[in-house]
Amino acid sequence: MDKYLIRYSVYMQFLAYIYTLNEFVIIKLQFLMNKTRSDHFVFHERLNATFLEELFEGDTIYAETVFEDFLRDLPAYWERVQMSYQHKNLPLLGTNIHTCKTLFGYVGFTDLQELCQEFENKCAKHTADELQAEFATLSRKKQEAQHIIENEYNRLKRYNEGA
Amino acid sequence: MKTTCIIVEDIQIAADFLKKFCEKSGLVEVKGHFLNVPDALVFLDEHKPDLIFLDVEMPGANGFQLLDSLTYSPKIILTTSKTEYAFDAFQYHVNDYLKKPFTYKRFLESIHKVQGLPAPGTGPTPSTPSPSDIDFLFIKSDDKLVRLKKDDILFMESMRDYVKFVTPGKTYVTYSTLKSMEEKLGGPSFIKVHRSYIININKIDDIRGNTIYVQGNAIPVGKGHREELAARLNLQ
Repeated sequence: MDKYLIRYSVYMQFLAYIYTLNEFVIIKLQFLMNKTRSDHFVFHERLNATFLEELFEGDTIYAETVFEDFLRDLPAYWERVQMSYQHKNLPLLGTNIHTCKTLFGYVGFTDLQELCQEFENKCAKHTADELQAEFATLSRKKQEAQHIIENEYNRLKRYNEGA
Repeated sequence: MKTTCIIVEDIQIAADFLKKFCEKSGLVEVKGHFLNVPDALVFLDEHKPDLIFLDVEMPGANGFQLLDSLTYSPKIILTTSKTEYAFDAFQYHVNDYLKKPFTYKRFLESIHKVQGLPAPGTGPTPSTPSPSDIDFLFIKSDDKLVRLKKDDILFMESMRDYVKFVTPGKTYVTYSTLKSMEEKLGGPSFIKVHRSYIININKIDDIRGNTIYVQGNAIPVGKGHREELAARLNLQ
């Protein structure tokens, strides 16, 4: 312990010798700013990171808000999807999937958006029974997506808190 | 002065993005956000915003039903995640079509288009108006100079050393080339779709295969022009 204190004291005396207080503050700030830049937030590999970079333009605070809103809105929208599927109301199912598709787009789930689009198109041509297997796949992928976004939201939150 | 607008959108995240983009641009003031068409129509009974950001698929009435009910002609930017509506959009003469989710850059391009400003990043407007800033042109036809409103032109057809201008009520023939007319017209409304045709994209009724229909006239789309046309119509 003493060894570290001595080393720290020598280090501070050296800095005080070569820099004025103002210079020292500026150097410290530059160090922190560089640290922030090098600590760039990287989105999950399943998400379309290029698009998200363009959409949020590096504003991770806003990204956090959007991910939070997504987690707030998706359960209610998905409940409507399930209800329309259970009632075998295919036109309404298509419309509800359309809404979820848009929502997935805002968090960078491009592949899920495409899957939703395919399913939405099939709602106009098939019966609920014919779409059973595909609906099960979509439900599973939605669950996975929700889990990923929950983790991404927590990571964004920690990142924005500076942790 | 800022352009006033309303947002008709049932997805909160999408509406929030639009509000944020409007605020960030400093060009557009949001007067209201409505989750469905009936609520928007109640507002539009008393207020006349310059611009409407309009989603298409919403619970109950859709965006096109709102357009059918309008009693004045605001600028319209359709915001939807379905490209299938592009043809309907052109039939309704909407000003632009944004596919959700869209970036701030794309939003800004759209606002500039609606406001008649140069595209972002292309620098300030010169004091001398460019051809695309003037909404008419003079053509020599039957020994007189005829003033033609650009908005009235449906399409132009090359006839060797002459160019035929087709408008809803009349056809004019002038001694010129299509290339020179293309330079004179400029602007986002006109596009060359074939070596012999320039069309006004706001007048397209529908597109079937490689043929564009404008008020009963069938106009072929040349192979080399398809990509640019698709890009211009946001069909890619």
